[in-house]
Amino acid sequence: MGKKELKVAFLLALRSLQRGSRSSVILTILIIGMCFTNMIFLPGLFNGIGQSITKQVVDYEIGNVLVSPKTGDQYVSDLGATLDLINGMPGVERATPHFSKGATLKYRQRMLGVSVRAIKPNDEKLVSPLYTKMVAGSYLGEDDTGEVIIGRPVAGDTSIREEDEFQSSLGGVRVGDSITIDYGNGYVKDYRVKGIYYTGWSSADSAVYVTYTDMALADPKAVDNADYITVKTRPGYSEKFVKDELIQYGVSQKVQTTADLLAKSMGRALQSFAIINMVSLIVGIIITTVVLFIVITIKTINSRRQIGILKAIGVDQEVIMHSYGFQVIIMAVLGILFGLVLTLLMAAYLAANPIVTPEWSATLYLTPMDLIQNSLILFAASIVAGYVPAYQVSREDIQSAMRA
Amino acid sequence: MIEITDLQKIYRMGDVEVRALDGVTLDIAKGEFLGIMGASGSGKTTLLHMLGLLDEPTSGKIIIDGTDISTLNDYDKTMFRLYKLGYVFQDYALVPDLTVRENVTLPAMLRKDLTEGQYRDACTDILTKIGMLDRQDHLPRELSGGQQQRVSIARAIVNKPDILFADEPCANLDTENSRMVLDLFREINEEMKQTIVMVSHEDWHKDYFHRIIRLRDGKVTSDGINDRNAH
Ligand SMILES: Nc1ncnc2c1ncn2[C@@H]1O[C@H](COP(=O)(O)OP(=O)(O)O)[C@@H](O)[C@H]1O
Ligand SMILES: [Mg+2]
Repeated sequence: MGKKELKVAFLLALRSLQRGSRSSVILTILIIGMCFTNMIFLPGLFNGIGQSITKQVVDYEIGNVLVSPKTGDQYVSDLGATLDLINGMPGVERATPHFSKGATLKYRQRMLGVSVRAIKPNDEKLVSPLYTKMVAGSYLGEDDTGEVIIGRPVAGDTSIREEDEFQSSLGGVRVGDSITIDYGNGYVKDYRVKGIYYTGWSSADSAVYVTYTDMALADPKAVDNADYITVKTRPGYSEKFVKDELIQYGVSQKVQTTADLLAKSMGRALQSFAIINMVSLIVGIIITTVVLFIVITIKTINSRRQIGILKAIGVDQEVIMHSYGFQVIIMAVLGILFGLVLTLLMAAYLAANPIVTPEWSATLYLTPMDLIQNSLILFAASIVAGYVPAYQVSREDIQSAMRA
Repeated sequence: MIEITDLQKIYRMGDVEVRALDGVTLDIAKGEFLGIMGASGSGKTTLLHMLGLLDEPTSGKIIIDGTDISTLNDYDKTMFRLYKLGYVFQDYALVPDLTVRENVTLPAMLRKDLTEGQYRDACTDILTKIGMLDRQDHLPRELSGGQQQRVSIARAIVNKPDILFADEPCANLDTENSRMVLDLFREINEEMKQTIVMVSHEDWHKDYFHRIIRLRDGKVTSDGINDRNAH
């Protein structure tokens, strides 16, 4: 195929699209676009949900790498030395410990069971964006005692009656109010509410935070122990790298990355997602292939006589075959572009109006790689679907083609 | 130029056998303007199809310009048609999706020996000659039968083929246009020494032919030089 042949094939393709049935061309392009969107939408949505959950888990629960007690131990012990060791590693932004105790909050007539989380506020700031989520008052200072910050759902709202509450609360605590925390071990103390936060991640929002200094008063074990240590990695360092290096350099605790933990807890869900993604991919490919195959087959059957004429005046069968190939390519490219536009519009819409739940907010998570990969898959399927009938019909002998 | 030896074409439809060509032997000289005449169904179109490499004979031999065409594969035949032959179909056979100009240019576009400028000029010339330049952007379906016939002639001669086959090219033309076409054929025959094989059943056309072949039931029944035009 030389340049002249390609030029003629392209001219024939263009004219056939222009002068043939417009509606069938437009319909075909729409269907390809829909298939493209269908292929990419659900996986993108699942990915978006997955990403938002992962981000919340990283931000408010475990950081990028979680160091938890080795089997049989209740706490990560020797806390100071362990933190120093971890913080000294390359690729570690900061490590910060958590120590939680169940407790009962009392405010006026209300009582509420919550988890009290002890943090080291300055280090916590380098790991978790909690300090940016204050809706009233301020964040904990490093050595604050007698001060607590509480989630907005815990604080509650004076305007909602107790029996109408979706989630039980203290019924409208405000910054500066005093609440009593009963740790259940005989230690009971009044705290001033220093701030109220709202993260959107429910397990953080239904907890309250005090400083490690404070917790050590309530439970002396907190002095040099932690339930776990959350580690934030530096940009450019993978979680896996940091995990491996922690293990290698003598962190004797259990070390897991977010990915490890999510794979464990969401393994089932991820598997189902993967299956649904695969199904929508395959369905998209099949519909596109079948539609294009039918469209081109009908086109070739309807233009058998024209194909005969072209051959009779000296147009090679390869040129004829490629003229159908070009038609498919043009329709596939337009269809994929249409699908891209549709997908990006939906992504923009969902970004502006995400589906928000307490656990996650769903946006379309699409990487350029996903878009390119799906485009190429669909394009390849289109080519196959178009060239098969084009190849067959271009081989017919002139006499039978012209008599058609 | 063309040597035909004992050419047979038999169509079989179930048990019925139609001998469309029944032993045609014929030599056509270079530069000859040959008329093939005969009643409807006598095998004229079939013979022209064989010579135009559009169909394969049941038996017999055709040698064109020294090439035994039975030795050519499909691709070679296509190229042979593109570079050496021009064909005017009885039913015009224009490409419906292409404009008049695109129909005429198409065979020239594919030729490796023509530049874009050359085939454009050739196309404009030929459209002017057949009086269709003002209709060059029309589609075939927007033209009358006679106009389509003229476009199909233009397409056949745009590449200045060595041999032009024309199957009743004047069937849909009035006398005036028929004369125009015949004069055009005579002109290219005389100026460029193109060989022309034309099927006709109009008696007055024979004034233009150098030589006339008559067919009946697939056989040549007469073969005569037309004294007035013989060269
Ligand atoms: N494809 C075909 N199948 C069967 N019979 C055919 C076919 N083409 C032509 N014939 C028969 O061959 C004979 C010659 O036809 P044709 O060459 O078209 O005649 P003409 O052009 O002289 O009118 C006719 O009897 C016709 O019916
Ligand atoms: Mg005929």
